[in-house]
Amino acid sequence: MNQMTKYLLIALACLGIQGAVAQTITGTVSDEAGMPLPGVNVVEKGTSNGTSTDFDGNYAINVSSDNAVLVFSALGFKTTERSVSGASLNVTLAEDAELLGEVVVTALGIKKETKALGYSLTEVGGEKLSEVKQVNAINALQGQVAGVNVTGAATGPSGTSKVVIRGVSSLSGTSQPLYIVDGIPINNQNLGSASRWGGSDYGDGISSINADDIESVSVLKGGAAGALYGSRASNGVIVITTKSGKKQQGLGVELSSSVQLESVNTDLYEFQNQYGQGLNGVAPTTQQEALDAGMQSWGSRLGSVSTAAQFDGVNRPYVDTGDNVSRYYRTANTLINTVAISKAGEGYNLRFSATDLNNNDITPNSGLNRKSFSLNGGAVLADKLTLDVAGKFVVEKVNNRPRSSDSPGNGNFSVVLSPSNINVLDYQPGIAEDGTEFRISSNTFQQNPYWTAYRFSNESRKNRFIGSSTLRYQVTDWLYLMGRAGIDNYTARITSVEPFGTAYKPLGGMQEQTFNVSTVDADFIIGIEKDITENFSNTTILGANSNSLKNEFIQLVGNEFVIPSLEDIANVANRQYSYSDSRVKRNGLYFSTEFAYKNYLYLTVTGRNDWFSTLSKAGKSAPNNYFYPSANASFVFSDAFELPSWFNFGKVRAGYSDVGGGANDPYQLSLNYAINDTYNGRGTGVSIGSISNSGVPNENLEPFSKKEYEVGLDMRFLNNRLGLDLAYYSNKTTNDIVGINTSQASGYNSAFINIGELTNKGVEVLLTGKPVVSENFSWDINYNMTYNENEVVKTDPDGNPIFPGDAAYGVNSQAGYLEGYPAATLYGTTFVRDEDGNIQYDSDGTPTVGDNDVIGNGIAPWTMGITNTFRYKNVNLSFLIDAKFGGEIFSGTSAFANFYGASKNTLVGRENGLPVSGVDADGNAFSTTIPAENVNIYYQRLYSIAEANVQDADFIKFRQISLGYQFPSAMLEKTFIKNASISLIGRNLFFLMRKTENIDPESAYNNTVANGIERFGLPSTRSYGLSLNVKF
Amino acid sequence: MKNIIYKGVLTLFALAMVVSCDEGFEDLNEDPTKASQIDVKFKFPNTVLFASGQRYETWRGNLIYCSTMMQHLANTQGYWSGDKYFWNAAYSSAFWDAMYPQAVKTVEDMKFQLETEELTSSPEYAMVRILRVFIYHRLTDLYGDIPYSEAGKAFIEGNTRPRYDAQEDIYADMLKELEESVALLGTGTAEIGTSDILFLGNQDQWKKWGNSLMLRLALRLVKVDETAAQAWATKAINGGVMESNADIAYVQHEDGNGILQNANGEVFTADRSARISTTFLGLLENDPRMRVYAALPPDETGFVNDDPAAQKGLPNGLDGTTIQDYEGGDDLATYSEPNSKYLMSEAAPMFWQTYAEVELMLAEAGVRWGLAGDPAAHYEAGVTAAMEYLEMYNEGAAIDATEIADYLAANPFDAANALEQINTEYYKATFLNEYETYANWRRTGFPNLTPVNYPGNQTNGTIPRRLIYPTNEQALNKENYDAVIASQGADLLTTRVWWDQ
Repeated sequence: MNQMTKYLLIALACLGIQGAVAQTITGTVSDEAGMPLPGVNVVEKGTSNGTSTDFDGNYAINVSSDNAVLVFSALGFKTTERSVSGASLNVTLAEDAELLGEVVVTALGIKKETKALGYSLTEVGGEKLSEVKQVNAINALQGQVAGVNVTGAATGPSGTSKVVIRGVSSLSGTSQPLYIVDGIPINNQNLGSASRWGGSDYGDGISSINADDIESVSVLKGGAAGALYGSRASNGVIVITTKSGKKQQGLGVELSSSVQLESVNTDLYEFQNQYGQGLNGVAPTTQQEALDAGMQSWGSRLGSVSTAAQFDGVNRPYVDTGDNVSRYYRTANTLINTVAISKAGEGYNLRFSATDLNNNDITPNSGLNRKSFSLNGGAVLADKLTLDVAGKFVVEKVNNRPRSSDSPGNGNFSVVLSPSNINVLDYQPGIAEDGTEFRISSNTFQQNPYWTAYRFSNESRKNRFIGSSTLRYQVTDWLYLMGRAGIDNYTARITSVEPFGTAYKPLGGMQEQTFNVSTVDADFIIGIEKDITENFSNTTILGANSNSLKNEFIQLVGNEFVIPSLEDIANVANRQYSYSDSRVKRNGLYFSTEFAYKNYLYLTVTGRNDWFSTLSKAGKSAPNNYFYPSANASFVFSDAFELPSWFNFGKVRAGYSDVGGGANDPYQLSLNYAINDTYNGRGTGVSIGSISNSGVPNENLEPFSKKEYEVGLDMRFLNNRLGLDLAYYSNKTTNDIVGINTSQASGYNSAFINIGELTNKGVEVLLTGKPVVSENFSWDINYNMTYNENEVVKTDPDGNPIFPGDAAYGVNSQAGYLEGYPAATLYGTTFVRDEDGNIQYDSDGTPTVGDNDVIGNGIAPWTMGITNTFRYKNVNLSFLIDAKFGGEIFSGTSAFANFYGASKNTLVGRENGLPVSGVDADGNAFSTTIPAENVNIYYQRLYSIAEANVQDADFIKFRQISLGYQFPSAMLEKTFIKNASISLIGRNLFFLMRKTENIDPESAYNNTVANGIERFGLPSTRSYGLSLNVKF
Repeated sequence: MKNIIYKGVLTLFALAMVVSCDEGFEDLNEDPTKASQIDVKFKFPNTVLFASGQRYETWRGNLIYCSTMMQHLANTQGYWSGDKYFWNAAYSSAFWDAMYPQAVKTVEDMKFQLETEELTSSPEYAMVRILRVFIYHRLTDLYGDIPYSEAGKAFIEGNTRPRYDAQEDIYADMLKELEESVALLGTGTAEIGTSDILFLGNQDQWKKWGNSLMLRLALRLVKVDETAAQAWATKAINGGVMESNADIAYVQHEDGNGILQNANGEVFTADRSARISTTFLGLLENDPRMRVYAALPPDETGFVNDDPAAQKGLPNGLDGTTIQDYEGGDDLATYSEPNSKYLMSEAAPMFWQTYAEVELMLAEAGVRWGLAGDPAAHYEAGVTAAMEYLEMYNEGAAIDATEIADYLAANPFDAANALEQINTEYYKATFLNEYETYANWRRTGFPNLTPVNYPGNQTNGTIPRRLIYPTNEQALNKENYDAVIASQGADLLTTRVWWDQ
């Protein structure tokens, strides 16, 4: 073989000598995916002779000698030198990993050089999201991007992820960003959440996107970055590009597997284990007493009596039985397997992947399975005409999503609060002889956790297709036309059963729900890229967009099963069905024009006008459309001026934008009526109907606006080993459409008006460093920090607070919007204090319940994350620590643990009584001792005082670690394997700092509108596992 | 050449955009599943069912609070806040929370529709107004001063922060409303027909109910304005009140979805923890109603023992611990509950105002002012009706004439002690319509109830005189809330409403 090569080279050299005359070389330059690359500079080395490729990647150059070397260079690709050999030379350029950061995906999927951007944009590589894979891939952004606040919730792996960019910017809705996947907006609708009265989190839309398919995630934080999305950019935009086929050696097959085990973080729980079940200091002596005591740990000191009766009438030792939480929950496992095949060749590229994600969650009998299939392709259809298509099909099934908040159906409640002399395993199997729930408490709403795990059922299935296609026609080398159309369509089915025999609902009931959601989005774009003079160039696009959403919801509710064992929606005494059809359309026209001067000064101006169907009504005088402008500029001073050699790069940027939105929901402009049921009493048979609106309709609604300016500085020093990116932004939402809470006495709970006003001001810092760079060892640090100051400026005409309602309820507390305070301020009952701060007590020694007031801040203003990555030869170690400061959480667990005497603080006063001193209602000094047997009244009063149950939510979490080993290529050389790596991974392993008691500071029970309210969600877990990746 | 292409493309683009960007949006934004207006005949029965009550507020307002404060029922469970005079914010406001956004909103909507359609002299307009008074009088009796003249009109008048009217003014207006409404009613069946699920369109019965309601409101005023009370009672009696159990204002509930069901029945299905109070059971001693009202919980075979001899009442104010020291023992299965054979059905009728109550009020009017003839006769008619109407629950609940006669013989009209006797009968006759029991007890003080004094109670061991407003009014309607507190007094369970001063 070597011999052959040698002969061949000699032969070629001879040929070269023979024809040592000037000649024309032609060829095509393409990328690794096989797509032609236009605009590549082709220069004969050592000369000024050069040309560039046309839009089909073709070039032709006259070279002076047969020994000429051609240098191919293009932005984002490795500069490649090739010796001329013959008249034809086709070249494939590899993407330059070093320089990849220089080109990022911006709005509409347009790739731009970062130095041209007058706004802050962070691109995260797909590998960051697949390193320690999350069931909801977007959760992996936690702590990674400045300005992006990802909040975990206690709703398990199938739950909703809350992503808020640069602070809450609207008093209504979820403030979640717009997600664009392969050019089209996808639906991120939450299909249901727990609220004040219980329920489950039915997950969000973004969770359908598979971590293994993500090439990159661009976070368009501010309005200037997202302005081309106009009305949809008010909460920021996250642009996800999925992987496409690449030219490569071998079969192009990639396998990756990850297994993660997850168990309850028992460090969090520190309940008292000195007193057992009972009331007034007395342990139960009969089954009835035990049932009446239920969750109450106001019994006698453990060990003070040898045995006590329990819920089932059995007398068991009255001693601490140990940790119920770890006994009840199991070790969860998540297994993710992906196989991907990719191929690229002349004029085409293709990638297909299939992923199976299987999760068995910590609650017995619960879990999730998701199968994702993705097919991406690109082809040159004809001269100047290229087509890209991307399709994803996702089938998801979730079994028994956890219930949270209120106690009915919520096993977490009973497990956590069961008195310490009770072993939850004794609750098994949870079913009495007659097939009904085996009661553990006289309170019918306190459920046997085994009954909820095995007899309650909740199954949801979702089939989703997301597809997009882009057709691009290059009219001339400076003008192109592009059309893009996409669809995101899913059907979700939810069946949930409260079984026959449930204590609080003896005859049971069930629900069948179907969501049919379809989003269609189409863009038409004209693009112009022109050099006006040598130093001055212009890029302009003109576009039109149409977006429509159809959301059909069908619900069948049945109550009271007729045949007890048959859980079928027809097998019920009472039926209800409902149907809704929500149709929303939004059209937009937009332009963007960018001027570049000498590649160091850039100015971009954009504008978009959006029309909203949700604000359209015959005869309406208020406008149904809005014009959203933006401008941003960037000045690369390191290119403009001579700077010291250690100052490698410097850029200042500034941007202004006005983005915003219309009303999200249709049909808010008029009063509507529906027929609800038929009444047949006394032989009548009459239909009954009423107003359907619970909010007062308003036909004068108009679009709202969010104006933002931002400035930034991006610098790199010391051979690019130290980097600093600073951003300051300030934004203000005005005229926000708010469903203001109204006095119920008005007949309506809310009214929609254009009034809301709120501001965010913030600083984002990104610091990167490479303390050690050597062949065998390197160390990278990436630190990001955000401070966001949010203020609700105007809520309603009277300055009343706005509360999102049942979805944001704690216990005597809720999260809401109060003028002068940040969004998600916690508001609830307080202690009453005199001027000197002395607490006021009622005559029995319990603290007086005070009025509702501000008791905390549900969203932490300070967020930060630090990632350290070490590489020694083939070993990689990377870990992420993230932290949040300045927030509080209302703990429902604390409230109930006070009520039931479960928390450690309730031990005070049980032996000798509880002395209290303060003032009485008249302000006079007051002190008394609550007798030991009645001490529960004090703590039960704390349950009613929300202030007593607010905890500091500051934390520093050791979020993620990965220890990887890349098998050396020498080892794989003899095999068909091209590349292999294995890593040990861990997530949420421990806290470096935490101030909450008995809960995780990140355990909100509802992740859509509520922040900072915890109420018996799934316990916090830690996970660890193994991940393997093989290419051949 | 390039310029031509450039211009051509731009022109095409501009042309494409000329097509209206919001074409079809107006139609798209009309809900295909809803109507923009419906006939009153659909709205009326819906509002009646809202007013009759649903499980949420009936559980909390009617049973957890009123029935236990009135010692009709007792409960050892801590969350039955009324048993021990605790304030549970959500329970206390439940009736308000349910009534305003449902019954009030829809009754105001109907009234507005009929006014808009200029049907203000129709019998339907009268029915809507009488229904409206029924809804508001329960609200004001329970809370005191309430939003009335501006309530329920967020859409109609754009008022989302209604002011509170003084109860005195509300009563004056409600009485005027009843007077005017009754005057609008003619004879025969109104056009609304069976969509009037209270009286099936019978205008004559509406007239009687309007006057009976007027009598109820009139008597409420005896403590604060006896002159007005007498004048309105006179007007009501002259106008013609209920004359038999056929005139009773009630909703015949049925199995089906929540709104169709009897809300008390729904509560008993979900929560069987309440027991008959010792106080009530004591008053039922030697009363044939005991076997209808009280029974032991079903035993393992499902047998319901309603033998009066076997009944045992539960004292109010006990909890799971203190019951152990009570002589009756801590086995709750041995205490009487509302008789599940008759009273716990979700298809049971819900009585709004009975003929028995009317006769007893006539007896009182006779005693007080010499109105309506012989009070003794009205007393007897009231007791008789109160026993006879029970068969509307179930035939098994029928009390025969001999039993009634025996009872009356043993408990003849006692002129010396008439008010206590009459109102104690009223107390027995309104079992399960606890809102009414509570209002009438506050007005008359009969029967004499001994309050409980549970540790930590919020009334200093006195029976609450009203329920506390929803706490969100402090934020959402602050100005008006502050004003009402300033005029009515602190927002406490112990503050007395105007007619209770």
